[in-house]
Amino acid sequence: MAFIADTLLQLLAGVPMTLELTAISVSAGAILAGVLALLTRLGGPASWIARGYIFVFRGSPLLVQIFLIYYGLGQFPAVRQSLFWPFLRQPWWCALLALSLNTAAYGAEVIRGGLLAVPKGQIEAGRVCGMSTFTLYRRVILPLALRQALPAYGNEVIIMVKSTSLASVITLMEVTGIAKGIISETFRALPVFACAAAIYLAINFTIAGAVRLLERRLGVAS
Amino acid sequence: MTEIAVAVRGLEKRYGAMPVLRGVSLEARTGEVISIIGASGSGKSTMLRCIPLLEVPEAGEVGVAGEWLRWRPKGTGRVPADKAQVAALRARLGFVFQSFNLWSHRTVLGNVIEAPVHVQGRPRAEAIEEAEVLLAKVGLGDKRDSYPAQLSGGQQQRVAIARALAMRPAALLLDEPTSALDPELVGEVLRVIRALAEEGRTMLIVTHEMGFARDVSSRAIFLHQGIIEEEGPPAQVFNDPISDRCRQFVTSHLRR
Repeated sequence: MAFIADTLLQLLAGVPMTLELTAISVSAGAILAGVLALLTRLGGPASWIARGYIFVFRGSPLLVQIFLIYYGLGQFPAVRQSLFWPFLRQPWWCALLALSLNTAAYGAEVIRGGLLAVPKGQIEAGRVCGMSTFTLYRRVILPLALRQALPAYGNEVIIMVKSTSLASVITLMEVTGIAKGIISETFRALPVFACAAAIYLAINFTIAGAVRLLERRLGVAS
Repeated sequence: MTEIAVAVRGLEKRYGAMPVLRGVSLEARTGEVISIIGASGSGKSTMLRCIPLLEVPEAGEVGVAGEWLRWRPKGTGRVPADKAQVAALRARLGFVFQSFNLWSHRTVLGNVIEAPVHVQGRPRAEAIEEAEVLLAKVGLGDKRDSYPAQLSGGQQQRVAIARALAMRPAALLLDEPTSALDPELVGEVLRVIRALAEEGRTMLIVTHEMGFARDVSSRAIFLHQGIIEEEGPPAQVFNDPISDRCRQFVTSHLRR
């Protein structure tokens, strides 16, 4: 029992990093996702690029993406000499970059689905009273699309919380990283990983509740 | 043409190879109530939707309150020359859809003040004050904080009418305003429209409610295959039409 308590205490020290990785990558990814979703609607080269991006980042494993960014980019002298190198040499920034780029691809598809689900009649009602395209998006299309997308986007945030555990493979000491450290010293894999799983469960329980609360406030559930 | 609230000239519109409008011209003077009748597929809704450019006619002119829409050639066809002019023209009309199309994420009041505040740029407090008057007029003063999903079809359509009136429109265009309603809800919407007619609003109404159209309109138009086949005072169009097709249509519909 003392071991479990001690393990939990040590693992909790990794929670801030897990939460930071999630919060930053979900925020940055959401902005990129929004841009990508809008690009797919434009048609022409812009939408091909967006669709290509989504294909690549959704179609390949996040773990491979993390490896490619952390180990792969440094192979190019141009990258090592660029002003991004002080960031790209650090596992923290590489993990954030991979997580953000990856969630953006999924998020773009979620938002695209939300945009498609906006009732045509309500768009027409906005057009017919003289709204500019910008006003129409700001006041009608995006608010309705985001309400549609919210349940699925909540799912994506939960997946991202779990995905941050992959950052441990490039030395980051978030919850899973710390867990692996403890196991290599104690060889007690079961209780340690069980503790780690419990922590992720607690985080996601909170997030799922928050999303549901937001849904109710925005009238999605009704 | 200041006396003319809405005008169309020689409207032509086709869907693919199918012509829907084949040269429709119409002028609605301020204060007129014009009902537009015809079988489904006759082009009456398309004609109405061409006025605020929800459908873009291939040929013909559209004018609102004395201003004609400008066009420029594009490819083999044409597009409006100035998007801002299209928006300005739309903002001078009120449009009521068959399926209401209220914004589901906004309250009744939010729906009514949306365009006055965010399109016409009027002060919010003023828009709210006016919206409350309009909602009282359509009999929904107590529903200002409800969401559309909480209202019946008839109530939603009355909110949609208040929303259109909030634009202070030069003319109100109503596209089959009661066709999506349960029979017992039709009356409450028709009563509101009748009251508007009595206070001298300029209206173009596409409708299947023949008895209602005969009572409230100052002029009636019968469309057939994209052409105005009969036009005149309701007494003529509904009771003694010149065109046989119109007579057939009207008698078969009035009898119901």
